[in-house]
Amino acid sequence: MAFGEVLKELYESIFRKNYSPVLGGVLLALLVILLEMWYRPWGIVGGLRNWGEWVLYGIGFLEEAPPHPLWFSSSVLDIGLLLGAFISACLAQEFGIRIPPKLEVIKAIVAGILMGIGSALARGCNVGGFFMPLANLSAAGIAMMLGLMIGVFLGVKYLLWEIERFSSQGGKEISMKKISPLLGVIALIILFWGAYDYFSSERENAYLLGGSLLLTAGIGFVMHRSRLCMVNAFREPYLSGEATMAKGVALSLFISMLGILFIKMADIRDPMTYVEPTFIWGSLIGGIIFGAAMVVAGGCGSGSLWRVAEGQVKLLIVVIFFALTNAILRYYMDNVWEIWDKGILGSAVYLPDVFGYAGTFIILSLVILLWYIFVDWNEKTEKFVIGF
Amino acid sequence: MVDLSTIKPDEVLDCKGLSCPMPMLKTKKALQKLQSGQILEVLGTDPGSKNDIPNMCKKEGHEFLGMIDETGYTRYFIRKK
Repeated sequence: MAFGEVLKELYESIFRKNYSPVLGGVLLALLVILLEMWYRPWGIVGGLRNWGEWVLYGIGFLEEAPPHPLWFSSSVLDIGLLLGAFISACLAQEFGIRIPPKLEVIKAIVAGILMGIGSALARGCNVGGFFMPLANLSAAGIAMMLGLMIGVFLGVKYLLWEIERFSSQGGKEISMKKISPLLGVIALIILFWGAYDYFSSERENAYLLGGSLLLTAGIGFVMHRSRLCMVNAFREPYLSGEATMAKGVALSLFISMLGILFIKMADIRDPMTYVEPTFIWGSLIGGIIFGAAMVVAGGCGSGSLWRVAEGQVKLLIVVIFFALTNAILRYYMDNVWEIWDKGILGSAVYLPDVFGYAGTFIILSLVILLWYIFVDWNEKTEKFVIGF
Repeated sequence: MVDLSTIKPDEVLDCKGLSCPMPMLKTKKALQKLQSGQILEVLGTDPGSKNDIPNMCKKEGHEFLGMIDETGYTRYFIRKK
């Protein structure tokens, strides 16, 4: 085989072909651990809320200006994810403006609002409320996982009900296939130029933001290439029995937990990072609402964002209503009702405080292993499959 | 090999603009209504379908005949088992 062909094959398998969920999950875990070592845990909602707050400030609902999106770390994480996923979609020529039929628009609005409510109660979406808290050894992560399982079941019930009664047609795509490699190269230049700007800035935490931008761009790229989807991971065991995505996410969660366990044992990060006062009610109820809604939306926190980056208009609507609802609700919860001090939605439980590091490792490994065994067994027996 | 460009589908399902999991659900629903051996053509725009539809066919035992990329959408052909 000629040298050029070897290069071409390598290019195809990195930039054009899809990665398996297992490869995607492993790479995601690696980036998540690096990001937490570099600066802070990964998250989605904080950035969306920041953008929502700017809209609320613009219309006069908020009196004080929120932090600048380019100097607010949560927002930078989301910008990085969007850029990375956009670059992936463009280089693979999968970017295109996909306009959904009417029913999907209504579903997107309702689901977006519910996702905003669920993530406000749980103080995070599937990433900041389930995946990262669990990896950061917080009991709240387990509670939201349970909530998501219940919520997703309800969401699947709705989808099955809908499919029997409605048939929405008439969507379309505005193809961007021809110009998308060019758009991808432009986005790459913006990414590296942005990172360079952060690294050469005099501001105190600028280089930290620069690294975070690059790492989350990696997360967006990997998630899009592998179409890593936590909605799929929770939904398919009910809908078709398929467990491939669930296994990839479970593996990713285990590796992330292991890495962050060491980060926290070594005192690199404050132990209480991502240990929020939502155990158990905030995470459980928030998880149920968020879980049901993300099935109807067709994307979770991270999955909605990378689908926006590939041009899915439905998910763009989801993200807008998600961000605005979360910003409004958290404004009232934080400043008006002062809900967190009262402890109504639960307490902050750092598992090592109760079980020690070894005990925590065993408990969280068992939780992830049980999930893995459950979806694997269900794939073979279809005991919990309610779809057709 | 079946020549996809001249194939006459028994049913055409429009999934354009829909995102995951709607194309998959609608495809399965449409296949239920067909007779064994009949051909379903699905029109889709979700990149995820390129893996999902062949995988689903393999799992359910339908014959995936192939796909054609057109400008702005992809045509998928399935023969019901």
